[in-house]
Amino acid sequence: MGKTKWIAALGITTMLFGSVLAGCGGGEKSEQANGGSKQGEKVEVTLAGWGGNPSEQKLLQQTLDDFEKKHPNIKVKYEVIADQYMDVIKTRLAGGQGPDVFYLDAFEAPALIETGALEPLDKYVTDEFDVNDFEKPMLDAFRGEDGKIYGFPKDYSTLALFYNKKMFEEAGVEVPKTWDELREAAKKLTKGKDVYGFGVAPELARLYYIAESKGGKVVTDNKASFADSKVVDALQPIVDMHLKDKTAAQPNEVGATWGGEMFGQGKAAMVIEGNWAIPFLQDTFPNLEFGTAEIPTINGKKATMAYTVAYVMNKDSQKKEAAWELISYLTGKEGMKTWTSKGYALPTRKSVAAELGFDKDPLRAPLVAGAPYATVWQNGTNLPIIVNNFNNQFVSAFLGERPLADALKEAEKTANSEIESR
Amino acid sequence: MKQTLTKKMWRETGSAYLFLSPALFVLLLFIIGPIVFAVFLAFHKVQLLGTTSFEFVGLDNFARIADDTRAKIALWNTLKYVAIVVPCQTILALVLAATLNAGLKGEKFFRIVYFLPTLTSSAVLTLIFMWMYNQNGLINHVLEAVGLPTYNWLGDPDVALNAIMIMNIWSTAPYFMVIYLAALQDIPDSLYEAAELDGANAWQKFWHVTVPYLRPVTSFVVVMGLIGTFQLFDQSYIFSAGSGGPNNSTLTVVLLIYQYAFKTLGTMGYAAALAFALAIMILIATLLQRKLSKEESLY
Repeated sequence: MGKTKWIAALGITTMLFGSVLAGCGGGEKSEQANGGSKQGEKVEVTLAGWGGNPSEQKLLQQTLDDFEKKHPNIKVKYEVIADQYMDVIKTRLAGGQGPDVFYLDAFEAPALIETGALEPLDKYVTDEFDVNDFEKPMLDAFRGEDGKIYGFPKDYSTLALFYNKKMFEEAGVEVPKTWDELREAAKKLTKGKDVYGFGVAPELARLYYIAESKGGKVVTDNKASFADSKVVDALQPIVDMHLKDKTAAQPNEVGATWGGEMFGQGKAAMVIEGNWAIPFLQDTFPNLEFGTAEIPTINGKKATMAYTVAYVMNKDSQKKEAAWELISYLTGKEGMKTWTSKGYALPTRKSVAAELGFDKDPLRAPLVAGAPYATVWQNGTNLPIIVNNFNNQFVSAFLGERPLADALKEAEKTANSEIESR
Repeated sequence: MKQTLTKKMWRETGSAYLFLSPALFVLLLFIIGPIVFAVFLAFHKVQLLGTTSFEFVGLDNFARIADDTRAKIALWNTLKYVAIVVPCQTILALVLAATLNAGLKGEKFFRIVYFLPTLTSSAVLTLIFMWMYNQNGLINHVLEAVGLPTYNWLGDPDVALNAIMIMNIWSTAPYFMVIYLAALQDIPDSLYEAAELDGANAWQKFWHVTVPYLRPVTSFVVVMGLIGTFQLFDQSYIFSAGSGGPNNSTLTVVLLIYQYAFKTLGTMGYAAALAFALAIMILIATLLQRKLSKEESLY
């Protein structure tokens, strides 16, 4: 009697243990089954990215379909990570479940390259791939400190001045060519609290080129240096426009979530936005008449920002050959042409840009024109910490809680102490 | 005789553990294990991505908290939040429960209405409130209609945390109200009758009968409230899109832990140290509360 009880107990326990263990191990097993790429068997490569608008998704799907047609032995599994993209990617990489190929913003690139989680791509590159065809600043954004390339930029976007044609006509203002003209124009365009002349995003990602326009540096030797008086001087006009002129406002002051929305709703006559705002405005506000122009010059110099995203390969990937095939197609001349053909993003290959002729498109020409002189949004491994502190304190100065110089000084101190204790 | 007894005992405990083992296994793997690992992390400098490394740094991570300006801001915000939200939601819950227990008309209907906010997930609730808090949103329109000043609830550092407080009091008070309601039904009518005979009015009955009788429940409500508010994360996370802005005004300790754990690379150890510190803080707050309420534990 006692014996049978024992055996029954043992049986139940092993069963439960077994099912728990099987539940844990299941994912890995099936992964391995896919990983062993035997000849003639289909290899499945996972590609992770953040979703775009539906038309963008369609374009990407088409590019991927083309790729699968040309490489019948490779199947692409496309995963959309809709929210908190980098957190998800980092967690998955740390857990050894990262995708084979994924999007990486230039801003996050240095820190991720430093950890060694990415596969250097130089050894895969062939002459046919033609690396020199890429716009150099965009490519350099994904170069590690060892000089190796860890990702190929899929596209980029620069900033340009968006202006409301109707409001400009009513106010009788010309499209501003210099920053001083913009400030004057904003005064004429402002109508109390209903319409602001200029919509500002008070964050470093959008203000970086202005901050450095007077020769100051936001980041020096991977540390924050934005309390420099040259940087403060360069940014002061933005704060003055908000507090003294009352001609500039940030989107949430008028109940919008971002500049494009503020502009579309007619609450700002001018905003500085990127390529992404063009399809948004055309879809959401079809009656809005707007134009784009190069960003007004500061001290006679042209400047703008460039944001770029690359395809990178997971170092732990089991299917590196297939993953490279995918990257080289997506960032190759053919794949990039399909992907950028509708103008949601601009091609990073000079040959593709020339072929698609975006420099002649009236709305996109100013954006393309900005590429050669643009500052790429990326600077060392500590930029995320620096940005966080800058943004937090800049807002307080922008809202008039304290002088800009004091706010930036404190932000710089906090950022650097955070960096030092890393 | 003695030996057979121990043998039997051994067998019994043995089979008991055998039957318990699946549960113990799950507990160890998913609850005890992570806690031990978090404590381990708190004393190390950790790099989890790419080339994984653990470097023992002793108490450095804890020492770092003292120089971290943002940690101080987060702590201050959290304390402010706890100090305002816990009393408000407790009092509101008690008052709501007392009115619902007074035998008014449509009591059941109001119970349902009051309880509804609790059923919504906090993420959805936050998104709805963000709509209402919008510069052109419902709340500002109402304030304007009654002639009160309007606020930039989402963008102004001075009001952003208050906006979250209001939202949270509104959404958690009904949950505690239900607990109070259950306790109120428990108070014997004879106590009220005796008070009435002594000439007590409604307010005196509430203050001298209801409130003292509810003390153990209040104790429970305050402790749960303390734990919940110290752990404020999702509301401020969604409110500020993960940044704790504007101007660090919605940065809470848990949000800071999240930022160090997932936003910046190589600070997982520091995040674990912060989490450890928070756990100790909640423990102290809870012990203090119990000491102050002088109540034999009933929970």
